[in-house]
Amino acid sequence: MTTLGFASLRATLARRLPAPPRTAADGADVSTSLGGASLLVVGVCCAVVLAGCGRESMRAAPRELRINLETEPPSLDWSLATDGVSIIAIQQLMRGLTRLGRALRAEPDLAERWWVSSDGLTYTFVLRPGVVWSDGAPLRAQQFVDGWLRLLAPETAAEYAYFLFPVKNARAFNSGQLADPAQVGVRARDDATLEVELEAPLVYFPALVSFMVTFPQRRELIARHGERWTEPPNLVTLGPFVLEEWRHEYRLVMRANERYWAGRPTLDRITAYMIEEDSTALVLFEQGLLDLVRLPPLEIRRYATRPEYVRQPLLRGYYYGFDVQEPPFDDVRVRRAFALAIDRSVFPGLLQGGELPWPSWIPPGMPHANAQLGLGFDPERARSLLREAGVDPAALPPVRIVFNSDQTHKLVAEKVQALWREHLGVRVELENREWKVFLKEVAGDPPAVFRLGWGADFPDPDNFMNLFTSYSENNHTRWANPHYDALVERAARAPDPAERQRLYDEAQAILCEQDVPIVPLFVAASNFALAGRVRGFVPSAMDQYFFDEVSAE
Amino acid sequence: MIRWLAGRVLVFVPVLWVVATLTFALLRFLPGGPFDREKTLPPEILRNLERRYALDGTLAEQYADYLGRLARFDLGPSYKYVGRDVSDILADALPVSVQLGLLALAIALGGGVALGLAAGARRGSGIDRGVGLATLVGVSAPSFVIGAGLILGVALGLDWLPAGLWESPAFAVLPALTLAALPLAYIAQLTRAQVAAVMDQDYVRTARAKGVPEGRVRRHHVLRNALLAVLTYFGPLLAMLLTGSFVVEKIYAIPGMGRFFVTAVTNRDYPLVLGVTLVYAALVLVANLLVDLLYAWLDPRIRVAPDRR
Repeated sequence: MTTLGFASLRATLARRLPAPPRTAADGADVSTSLGGASLLVVGVCCAVVLAGCGRESMRAAPRELRINLETEPPSLDWSLATDGVSIIAIQQLMRGLTRLGRALRAEPDLAERWWVSSDGLTYTFVLRPGVVWSDGAPLRAQQFVDGWLRLLAPETAAEYAYFLFPVKNARAFNSGQLADPAQVGVRARDDATLEVELEAPLVYFPALVSFMVTFPQRRELIARHGERWTEPPNLVTLGPFVLEEWRHEYRLVMRANERYWAGRPTLDRITAYMIEEDSTALVLFEQGLLDLVRLPPLEIRRYATRPEYVRQPLLRGYYYGFDVQEPPFDDVRVRRAFALAIDRSVFPGLLQGGELPWPSWIPPGMPHANAQLGLGFDPERARSLLREAGVDPAALPPVRIVFNSDQTHKLVAEKVQALWREHLGVRVELENREWKVFLKEVAGDPPAVFRLGWGADFPDPDNFMNLFTSYSENNHTRWANPHYDALVERAARAPDPAERQRLYDEAQAILCEQDVPIVPLFVAASNFALAGRVRGFVPSAMDQYFFDEVSAE
Repeated sequence: MIRWLAGRVLVFVPVLWVVATLTFALLRFLPGGPFDREKTLPPEILRNLERRYALDGTLAEQYADYLGRLARFDLGPSYKYVGRDVSDILADALPVSVQLGLLALAIALGGGVALGLAAGARRGSGIDRGVGLATLVGVSAPSFVIGAGLILGVALGLDWLPAGLWESPAFAVLPALTLAALPLAYIAQLTRAQVAAVMDQDYVRTARAKGVPEGRVRRHHVLRNALLAVLTYFGPLLAMLLTGSFVVEKIYAIPGMGRFFVTAVTNRDYPLVLGVTLVYAALVLVANLLVDLLYAWLDPRIRVAPDRR
């Protein structure tokens, strides 16, 4: 049928167009054009044959794990790295004083035990005996001091230096006001004892020292290799894996550390590729060339019922903020009305990424979260609040929602636009911005309504609640409530969990019910595809991954 | 000839200076800086960062500092990739893009000229129609569509080739085809039009009348003249293919330079943006010079230097 159709088409064409002049040497012409075509065919055949051998290099060896890191880690220097990708790599290579267990509580790691003084100001950590670095050198308490002082030194210009600002004089040293590092509140009492003095009591300090910026460092090696100290073979670490190869923008290879204090890990090797395009990574996973990939949002539904599917809710909140000094949002009743008009239950179906609607700010999974707090969906009350505030929705100029250009943010904004139009009768305009332009605008002259998110740096509510204190650089709402500030400060020092719960409940009620500078919408989740040959993979709500307990057939 | 060449190369310097200056200015007009983060940094930390990367001076000081370093062939450190210089990054990435680009160039030139010749020499034939349709698709389909099609068909569907990464020559096939699709189609169209025009020229008729074999006519009289048009396109094409494509490198996870054209700007990694822009500009200049030399070789009418003497 096809051939027939094609032949008749050719006949028609032949009738309509004069045939090209034929010459005696027409054969030469055919061979020229066929020459090109056949070259192509030969080329492709060669390639296909090569493909067979080529891919062997990527076939999994037993006890090898092949994962997708997605992007190049900007740094493997744990004083300077700040992003999730670098953290995943560093967590395989290094260890800290404590480590977050499955319940996200600080558990002993390099510190065998610790205690805090009765005034809550001095922490003493006793190091585990017998820990050695991958070059055989023993772990000493001074190496923590060296690492912390390097992190805080102004010339290091470490972005995450502020993690150690709770330590006595750390902030003054980092800002250059204090030149003498000996006055910073960290010292090695002996090779096995580290003593830390704080500015003020901080109950979650043991969780803080599970974070990479507090890991020990070898000052002499950094001095010897300069900025290249994180390149193999220069990099000396003490975690379950050591760095074997770092091909920039392409892959990291880590192999088992024979000297790891807890015993060699089950895996021989982790190969971590940097494949930015999540759909390409998924095809490679389906071709059997990768073992663990993050699922593209559009593929989650297809994978949801498969055994390879792994979902993990994250300690990552998504919220809409108001500029509380810009009319009409300078009236708290208007802010409450807009919050009450949002039906959060639409987001999981809309986004398909395992999002969990959450009306308050401390995310579920974090201690002291409270599902009972926050403004739910109540369009009736929303409209009456608007009336009470004397706002005529029809006369209101269009409300502007600004977000950074991204498919998810666009979907959310469109949904909120529709909800506000439907339930409040207000007109809403959407504007998207390139990421850095957006950040500049939000920090400088915030739009009336904007979207932002926050992922936990450490699993304590202070990390979330601190965000909206009047002095936080991350509070872009221009909202300030001294009572809220005081509650958050008191909660950070309160050793009694019941008291902390009470303080955080009160603070969350101010933030999410009473003053409403923000409307928390939902918490995000991670969605993975994991190959059947891999066992023991435990995802974490902090988006942290430890592969020392993983095995692969 | 040597003097002409030296003159051309000397002109590179002011051109590169203009490119560097314009890029520098445009980057600084762009709102948002390299250290704007979702998690805003405390002011003292921002100050430390600006001091470390010499961003604390006035714009004029920064510009002078930048030009000074450029004159010493120092492209500076990347703001995003800690401890790596822009020249290190480019030294890692450019060779990959060049390998892939050369492969794509060979496919585009070989395939494009062969198809164009076949179509142009038999105007109105089935081959001509088919080539016309195929090249129309090739010219209009964006590379992410072609790339996605190849990944779905060849990698996922047939499982002949891997969907990405850069391990062995087999891994280069799909990206090279994707990268070559547009220029191949365009070259085929150019060649076809030129061949079709040249076939009717008097000198071709004369050659045939003299009894020159058709194959020789096509190689010596038709192809050579038809290639002049392709050559005009060759300069920018060479620079474009060798510096890599953002789309192709992203969808096939290839560690080349193309991705930095976009990601460096997104990150406001000023030195890296300037680095890739300058490499690209330099390649365009060199490629255009190369094209002019090739012109002179192919077409006696354009031979510059000997005429002057």
